[in-house]
Amino acid sequence: MSRRIFRTVPLHKKAFLVEWEQKPSDKLLEIILSFKSAIDKDYKVSRTVMGYQSLLIHMKEEIQDMSLWNEYLNELQIKIQPKIIDKGKIWKIPVCYDNIFAPDLIPLAKSLKIEVEELIQIHSETKYRVYFIGFLPGFLYLNGLDKRLHFPRKKNPQLKVPKGAIGIGGKQTGVYPNESPGGWHLIGKTPISLFDAKQKKPCFASPGDWVSFEPIDKRKYHELKRKIQKDNFKMLPNQ
Amino acid sequence: MIEIIQYGIYTSIQDMGRFNYQSYGVPVSGALDQRAYRIANQILNNSLTSAVLEFTIKGPKIRFHQNTFIALTGAKMKAKLNGVEVDYYAPIKVNEGSILEIGIIQNGCRTYLAVCGGIKTEKILESRSQFKGVTINDRIFKKTLLPIDNPIFNPSKGARMISPSQDYSQMELEVYTGPEFYKLSKIEKENLFSTLFTISKFNNRMAVRLKEKFKNEMSEIWTAPVIPGIVQCTSDGSLIILMRDAQVTGGYPRILQLNNSSLNLLSQKNTEDKIRFKLLSRID
Repeated sequence: MSRRIFRTVPLHKKAFLVEWEQKPSDKLLEIILSFKSAIDKDYKVSRTVMGYQSLLIHMKEEIQDMSLWNEYLNELQIKIQPKIIDKGKIWKIPVCYDNIFAPDLIPLAKSLKIEVEELIQIHSETKYRVYFIGFLPGFLYLNGLDKRLHFPRKKNPQLKVPKGAIGIGGKQTGVYPNESPGGWHLIGKTPISLFDAKQKKPCFASPGDWVSFEPIDKRKYHELKRKIQKDNFKMLPNQ
Repeated sequence: MIEIIQYGIYTSIQDMGRFNYQSYGVPVSGALDQRAYRIANQILNNSLTSAVLEFTIKGPKIRFHQNTFIALTGAKMKAKLNGVEVDYYAPIKVNEGSILEIGIIQNGCRTYLAVCGGIKTEKILESRSQFKGVTINDRIFKKTLLPIDNPIFNPSKGARMISPSQDYSQMELEVYTGPEFYKLSKIEKENLFSTLFTISKFNNRMAVRLKEKFKNEMSEIWTAPVIPGIVQCTSDGSLIILMRDAQVTGGYPRILQLNNSSLNLLSQKNTEDKIRFKLLSRID
């Protein structure tokens, strides 16, 4: 039998964590996704929540015997390891990098010692992997920000970052799904809603999917904004 | 309909919570003291998931636009119906046009008001609990009309509670070990359970931060799932206990996990109240 590469941690009577020891990577993401898809099918499981290295499992009933779960997870590890799979969907999120939506774009480019156009090009040409959703409703943890764009967060977080703002903070980039406080450098804005509480599936993207940013001008931004307000727009994945 | 005329300090609509959307980043929410919430609905023979009002520290003033029955549970705030003081933990008949005025807390922190059949605002993602970003607002902060169900309550069949009130002055919070507990040194563990902690002014529906610093050598973790009741510790020694509106993931080490009854008790604590952690030997 292969060595066990995770541990289980009971949290309370109806929830436990599976935590992997390896560092976050696309490979680990795919392992967690494979575990998740098998576990989600179990009738005793109510729901699961992902992190970089972990899967939280909420049960419908109290857990009687944790050792049964441990045995089952060991079996899963053997079954799952050989076939690493899921390619995920590709989502192109339109972003307007115009100064009116990007208060920190010029100062950030200066600090990074690159041209604004280059910053936009690097940021928009990268394919980012959705690792999981957390922090705020609809906030995608995206992996893959180019090293040239890594930059520490602001020392004093802004009290109000607008909905749809695109930011860079540390080694991460992402979209603020709603107005919130935030310490990232704001380099653009999307008219798209990352979270829609009226939908049964309130986020279009799922862990394992890919995201890239498509530069649009102000005119296109406002055109899309109008369509969205009229409920005349639906995000569709690229083939 | 009921009309919130004055809204108190923090008045919100809450129910059992929003369970199936944490993987989209949506907090559980729901009444912080689930025990008091459940009893309020039981008194009126409501469904156990009926929505109620949660008041913090000081309650609102409410006008009833229809006949109904109500029940008050949780922290005692002086409550007057048309100027006459009413009991807690008992069904109260309310006539159309009545005014209910809820004062300031005398013990505890949060009070629940159930109405017969429950508050009937729109369900969003399977729950009526208010949380900004999911519902429009996180609380009621202006004059508001709320739809309620028609009364179908027969007081003679009401579930009378035998000894429902609870001693909120109890200081011990029962905990299990959290996922990163094993990383603490022996001395750190001893300090954690021997210290009498004080609740800081940073306490709300998202989290309760403790005043005393807890010296530790822990480093941050890769962002991981968290649930209400988890005790996080930051590298500067702050202890943060997550409540029901907390984020669904976090990057601080998770050293303890409160059980449900302690989470309910904590939601009745105020700034400057003292607490102590008591480790349970196993999850049971």
